[in-house]
Amino acid sequence: MLLQLTVSGIAQGALYALIALSMTVLYRATTIVNFGHGDFVMGGAFVVYVAVIFFGLPFVFAAIASIGLMFVLGLAVSRGFIDPIKTGPHIGFAMMSISIGYVLRGGARTLWGREVLPMPRVFDMDPIFVGGVVITGDAMIICSTVALLLAVFFLIFHRTQMGTLVQAVFQSERGATLVGIDVRRFHETMWGVGLAMGAIGGILIAPISLLHPDLGASFLIRGFAAMTLGGFGSLSGAVVGGLVLGLSEQYLGAYVSTALIDITAYLVIILVLVVRPAGLFGRLVAVRM
Amino acid sequence: MAETNANPAPAARRFRRLYYLAPVIALAIPFIVNEYLQFMANAILVYILVTLGFNIVIGNLGQLAFANTAFFGLGAYTTAIVMSYFGFPYVLAVVAAAVTGGIAGFLASVTALRGIRLYYLAIITLAFGELLRWVYLHGDKVTRGSDGLLVPHPYFLGIPMDSETPKFFVFLLITVLVVKATSNLMRSRIGRAIVAIRENEAATASLGIHTAHYIVLAFVWSGAVVGIAGAMFAVLTGRVFPESFGLAEVIVHFGMVLVGGTSSIVGSVIGAITLTALPEYFRQFPGMSELFFGIVIILVLLFLPKGLASLLARISPRFNERYYLD
Repeated sequence: MLLQLTVSGIAQGALYALIALSMTVLYRATTIVNFGHGDFVMGGAFVVYVAVIFFGLPFVFAAIASIGLMFVLGLAVSRGFIDPIKTGPHIGFAMMSISIGYVLRGGARTLWGREVLPMPRVFDMDPIFVGGVVITGDAMIICSTVALLLAVFFLIFHRTQMGTLVQAVFQSERGATLVGIDVRRFHETMWGVGLAMGAIGGILIAPISLLHPDLGASFLIRGFAAMTLGGFGSLSGAVVGGLVLGLSEQYLGAYVSTALIDITAYLVIILVLVVRPAGLFGRLVAVRM
Repeated sequence: MAETNANPAPAARRFRRLYYLAPVIALAIPFIVNEYLQFMANAILVYILVTLGFNIVIGNLGQLAFANTAFFGLGAYTTAIVMSYFGFPYVLAVVAAAVTGGIAGFLASVTALRGIRLYYLAIITLAFGELLRWVYLHGDKVTRGSDGLLVPHPYFLGIPMDSETPKFFVFLLITVLVVKATSNLMRSRIGRAIVAIRENEAATASLGIHTAHYIVLAFVWSGAVVGIAGAMFAVLTGRVFPESFGLAEVIVHFGMVLVGGTSSIVGSVIGAITLTALPEYFRQFPGMSELFFGIVIILVLLFLPKGLASLLARISPRFNERYYLD
């Protein structure tokens, strides 16, 4: 029982970790917390669904189309909506990202109606049994994707020239511009990367959960909980936070009350921010207003 | 005449008194509109206070907080609970809603005492609001869960508020009092300190102003104002549901603040008047409300960052609210 709960907790937590990781990458690169990220995740899942069901594309191509589309959307968001309000107060970025998210959600609801749509299963792998514990194919794919992405971004951020670039732009955009970094282009690319990672999250969520336009909101809050728990801006913190959140949901749901699953994330956020705002691995960063 | 040149304030003050005409003109509304439009007018009064309260935190204090729907919901549920279980008269119910909203505002700003601002504040208030909605849903012994809690017909100083017209006069009275009080507060030393914190918190603190106190105060006031709006909302709809205070409602509040004009009291009023009717209208088209409000906010952020109130100020500088609009 405990082992099975742990396995499903890790699988669920890996999804939260992925959402938190993509928000962290964007935050590290642009100092912007994307409050519309949940809706971009939903958008990624929606594109896959439409491509598979209405255009009959194989799942792999649908996934590539979704990642590509969200990358381009990221470029467009950065150039068309974030860049023009650069000089305004920082709070404007958050409002802009929320509003873009709501436009996506509204658009999805307009096309979708009120129905909740099931996605056909795609990863048709036989579950593995390890000493009475069932590990589904979905869980393995999700976990390996998250591990791979974490490894890639950890290497990029900490072992390459690119990582130095990220650090330079995060610390001072003006300074970065002065030493010849094309900050605008850099931000556009990172928005593209952030949204493409969101799309990957959506693609992984699509086959295992029911799709509906409000899908993003619950994942956004869980992503925030994971980020807050792990420490804002820390890559490994986001992943650890996601896993801990996934496990706590499963344990609380099984041993205390199933009604608690819905609010575990909120309780984690409030508890962490009141008791230890820096989270497990982070340090409190003062962001300009 | 050197005196008037040195101090232009009396002329501006006299001009500002023109605003007092608005509620007087509004008194005529019940005599010219039908029942449905009267309901919309009442809803506008509710949303004027919703926007006013939200604007203090978003505009004047410049902090992103999602707790507004939480304050709104708490106000509405407090009113419904104290009236149906304890038989409170409406006046006391409004006070109770204001107190609950104010306490919630204090809780929402508790993190501010620990130096947590901006994103942390946004995230914790988001969690707070959703947590409350869960409480409304699962506390069904008191709140009746998703069936909604019925609000008894209230009496206001002996006058039954059983149709839209008496509700309008009571709401108008409450709204005018709260708007005027907020306007005075924001033009006082306290209001200026709140705006100063938005502009530069470190500099404000260096002037010996205890910034955390003012942040808490702004949140408490905002919570109380929106709590009162909740008390009006409960009576307006006659039954309170958990779904009325979800995340979808946030975008509507946001839209009203931004379209009207951030940190402008006139802007809050304009924002509520222009946008209140729309969510009702869009109800028949699923998704349209989110689409519309999202696009409108994006356009305002890009092209009219100070909202419709700044258009007024462009017509005549006399419309400029000296302490809120920059």
